[in-house]
Amino acid sequence: MAQNKTNLTRAVILLALASVFFITLDLGDSSSTSRVRRVFDTVFSPVENVARVVTRPVSGAWNSFRNYDDVVAENDRLKEQVALQEGAAVAAAASVRLSQELLALNGLPTLAGINSVTAQVIGETPTNFSQTVEINQGANSGIKVGMPVLNAAGLIGKVTEVFSDRALVMLLSDPDYALSVKVVTKSSRTPVTLPPLPTEDAPTVDSVLETTETSTTSSTTTTTTTILGFTPSATTVPAEVVAGGGSNITVPIASQLSVRETGILEGRGPGTRPIVRFLDASTRADAIEVGAPIVSAGGSRSLAPPDIVIGVVSRVVERLGTAGPVLEIELVADLSNLSFLRVLLYQPITESGK
Amino acid sequence: MFERLLQVVASRWFRLVLVALLVLSLQTTLFSEIRFFGYSVQLMAIFVAVAGGVHDVRVGAIVGLVSGLMYDAVLATPLGISGLVLGATGAGTALVLQSFREPTWWLRILVMSATAALSEIVMPLTKAVVGLGGWLSPRMFVVSLVTFIGGLVLAAPFIPVSRWTLREQVSLGRR
Repeated sequence: MAQNKTNLTRAVILLALASVFFITLDLGDSSSTSRVRRVFDTVFSPVENVARVVTRPVSGAWNSFRNYDDVVAENDRLKEQVALQEGAAVAAAASVRLSQELLALNGLPTLAGINSVTAQVIGETPTNFSQTVEINQGANSGIKVGMPVLNAAGLIGKVTEVFSDRALVMLLSDPDYALSVKVVTKSSRTPVTLPPLPTEDAPTVDSVLETTETSTTSSTTTTTTTILGFTPSATTVPAEVVAGGGSNITVPIASQLSVRETGILEGRGPGTRPIVRFLDASTRADAIEVGAPIVSAGGSRSLAPPDIVIGVVSRVVERLGTAGPVLEIELVADLSNLSFLRVLLYQPITESGK
Repeated sequence: MFERLLQVVASRWFRLVLVALLVLSLQTTLFSEIRFFGYSVQLMAIFVAVAGGVHDVRVGAIVGLVSGLMYDAVLATPLGISGLVLGATGAGTALVLQSFREPTWWLRILVMSATAALSEIVMPLTKAVVGLGGWLSPRMFVVSLVTFIGGLVLAAPFIPVSRWTLREQVSLGRR
């Protein structure tokens, strides 16, 4: 009996020391803990799959009992929203195409050049102290630790654990998540608008076709947008001639373009909006408008490629002293209702080798 | 060799691993979907607290450490954190119940639920100690309350499961 108690005490001490040892290894980004997880996953995955199948009717009944009214109401609202968005989506797709062409022309990186894998969310985090979701694609599909994950709205997080046919995605709202971002702020200058060209002075299409010299004229259309911070300035279409139609021409000058502030986005747990801090101390809080878009900053050491939409500024908190303002962010992606996700096959340098 | 293998398979620690796998699979499937106020009931913490309450401090600690390490292996949190927290939960439940001479069934269940709920407060504290801050907020009291209520409901069915799992000797047929 006494021998048994001594053995149990030894086992307790051994297991406690093993736990401390594993914590130290894991916090030091050791690959051996990932190996332990993968081995355990091999054993646990079949058990979990069986449990999922067996418990599906119960969870389905629970969800239908809890969420039926909400789903019906949301369905009605979404139908209306889809109808509203259909027109805007066509215009936006054209703008995105044009933007990608311009970026490609200038040799700048675009998302269009990055392959992606579509995955479905198969589970939420079982614990109350981590913001992760489980997806049904893993290392077999080329997914690696650190890859950014998006849904139709924008960035939602990054891959933190990869198994053969599933992966864990840490959401933007997790306090352990941090990402360098850009805040598109309003311009301080007033736009310069030129008067319209008189119709008789403007070259006609025929006259241009008749000339032997190569000439390039730019036409500029003024667009309106509800997105704050994006100055509705100019969309330039090269090599197209427009006879003076009486509309004003807005000249895109450098000083008129939106200013971009950079900072670090940090999650703050579920139900709390993420914040952006470490903005330049010289940034005036009133230079950043509520509603200004937040996009990923990109760069060689960033966790995500540039210009992925993340959210909009919902509150600007000015701080005293040399500390710059802190921004509260309303994410464009609804993290509480994730279904299909897109994993960009882009592994940041900082996460390579994991 | 075969005898030795049979001894290992028949040991209560082997049964513990198998039962903990089943409980963990319920935690990651059914109980991660069924949420109250947006929080999931921590079945693993309740299972460990019951094991500590039914057995002694050492058994409670071992059940907690083993189940916690298994739980960590499926989470994105550092491996070992849940092990330490659940180990303390199992040992703590046994210690609290030892202080009563003959605890009644409802007192046992109350203590098991309370220690399981307490583990949900200790967890963010432990995470903060190892540098993973951000979880210390008033919400952890709501999380704790959800697990406490879950414990009141689920502790009773876990008692026979825990007794069977951690029974010291099981006969392997007629000898």
